[in-house]
Amino acid sequence: MNAPGTREAVAAPAPRPAAGHRPAGYAVLGADRASRVSFLLHRRAAVVAVLLAAALAAVCLAYLCVGEDFVAPSDVLDVILGRPSSQELVVGTLRLPRMAVGLLVGAAFGVAGGLIQTVARNPLASPDIIGVTQGAGALTVGAMTFGVTSYTVLPYLSVAGGLLAAGLVYVFAWRGGLHATRFVLIGIGFAVALRSVIQLFLTKGDYLVAQQAQVWMTGSLNGRGWAEAAPLGWALLALLPAVLWAVRAQRTVSMDDDTATALGVRLGRTRLGLVALGVVLASMATGAAGPVDFVALLAPQIARRLTRTAQIPLFSSALLGAAIVVGGDLLARKLFAPTELPVGVLTAAVGAPYLIWLIIRGHRTRSRTAGRGRAAGTRSRAAGGEA
Amino acid sequence: MTETGATAAPTTGEPAPSRLTARELTLAYEDRTVVDGLDLDVPQGAVTVVVGPNACGKSTLLRALGRLLRPRRGAVFLDGADLARIPTKQIARSLGLLPQTPVAPEAITVADLVARGRQPHQHWWQQWSAEDERAVTEAMERTDVAQLAARAVDELSGGQRQRVWIAMALAQETDLLLLDEPTTYLDIAHQVEVLDLVRQLNHERGRTVVAVLHDLNQAARYADHLVAMRAGRVVAEGPPGEVVTAELVREVFGLEAVVIPDPVTGSPLVVPGRPWAGAEVSGV
Repeated sequence: MNAPGTREAVAAPAPRPAAGHRPAGYAVLGADRASRVSFLLHRRAAVVAVLLAAALAAVCLAYLCVGEDFVAPSDVLDVILGRPSSQELVVGTLRLPRMAVGLLVGAAFGVAGGLIQTVARNPLASPDIIGVTQGAGALTVGAMTFGVTSYTVLPYLSVAGGLLAAGLVYVFAWRGGLHATRFVLIGIGFAVALRSVIQLFLTKGDYLVAQQAQVWMTGSLNGRGWAEAAPLGWALLALLPAVLWAVRAQRTVSMDDDTATALGVRLGRTRLGLVALGVVLASMATGAAGPVDFVALLAPQIARRLTRTAQIPLFSSALLGAAIVVGGDLLARKLFAPTELPVGVLTAAVGAPYLIWLIIRGHRTRSRTAGRGRAAGTRSRAAGGEA
Repeated sequence: MTETGATAAPTTGEPAPSRLTARELTLAYEDRTVVDGLDLDVPQGAVTVVVGPNACGKSTLLRALGRLLRPRRGAVFLDGADLARIPTKQIARSLGLLPQTPVAPEAITVADLVARGRQPHQHWWQQWSAEDERAVTEAMERTDVAQLAARAVDELSGGQRQRVWIAMALAQETDLLLLDEPTTYLDIAHQVEVLDLVRQLNHERGRTVVAVLHDLNQAARYADHLVAMRAGRVVAEGPPGEVVTAELVREVFGLEAVVIPDPVTGSPLVVPGRPWAGAEVSGV
């Protein structure tokens, strides 16, 4: 082992770079001197994503097995792999499409929440808090009361409503720049106002339509299938490049405005892009399953606590969002069987206490760090007045 | 060691053309004009320090020099081109800026934050190069934060944190560096440490530095070129030895003072006069 010859043979082909400093916890893919292409990969985030994917697969398998009748995992696999099976109807026609909607909706909410929380620099911000889902809801319920009941049209109206609401929030929050806190507060205001608009539609509308709208409003996978899953799936696939862009762009907007600008980030454009992507994803998910409350709020924050990254890990957040919706729907179906709860009721039951905890904790940390200069997120533009 | 003061004088024989200039610069927040019709040539390869009383517009000026604030009238020019017309990423390769109170992402580590300084040199397909690694390592060693690499920025003391931020700005490897009150929140030892570092960067690397400082004596000690501002105008500029006089201190700060040579560096030292007029003043 100590023979000089052996040593040289080992050392020569790969001269180790002088102990350089890399962003801690990241692996660098393909960064040697010759390569013009290199990627940073957060090791822990990668491991967490793999584990979450495995957990999600387990949840999905359970989802397909458990129901009114238990189906053996081997039969489920047969159906998935397209082999002839006696359980084709239960698994392939009833459970699988519904699960697909849950997966896609959860993933979309997970990413959407992560993006909006990043831009707002606030863990409380999510599409269902800042008015996006309410906007989607108001337009959808409004259309329902005016007689539009086609499930091919409603999702598009929902996307339009979400974008419209978010656009208004953005415009109202804009004052020569986007102030994160103002963005969240105006969003909350819009959410409340739009909720009363929804109530107005519900009370004015026809009784049957109102009931149908009410079910939609709680967020449910009941009766959902390929008709909802297919367009959502294609849309998510089309948006994948944008999500990949967002993973990188997120890094740059997590600094304060001045520092980010000094580093050459086109802040206004980047932020607008991130918010727009988040809003589109959230509105599409809302269009497919209604507002499944708190998923967009919970998934990114839990994912970040798992990966311990400086920004929200979007892929883990998507996987976790999907697991929450699919797992939640499984519980919602079985918990009070034969009565089926909408999955939104379940996620709200879990999410609301979490939200309260987050607010209490936020208060504590804020008062703790108050003496350490300005609180995170405030624009230093305010301080510029002093100079 | 007293000789070091002499070498702190400008090292440039003949003045190199200024890369960063401001012409008829008018800066305003909403309807309040802070800087009015200001002209400035930042001397190349020198340390320029901007001083002045609170609300004189010095930080505002620095923000405009760093394209963080759009001028109401006039313009800032980098290599002759209007800053407002150069892509911001391109600016970031020549000009770095450290704001007064930068905010780090939650739970970010020191090495990760310093690495963010490489942002303007990276692309989505090239997220980490050997060059990035060299620059980050060098910046961390220079600011003496290498041993903190894996620590969370939130956990550091004020002095350590400021050094980490400076390391990030250094990792950007720009010829021009703007610092907005880099010594705020630091005790005197750390203040001196940071300013020595700035001086060193200028001497060894020929970096052009523009800093806003509160402390007139520190400004006089570390500047090659001093810019004194009052009410949004430049009152005087030049080498501290020529600029800092009792008259200037009176005009800019409205303070009666005696200016004596600094016993260590020979630079002007401002001693406020008659602090307790009428009360006993023991034997100076």
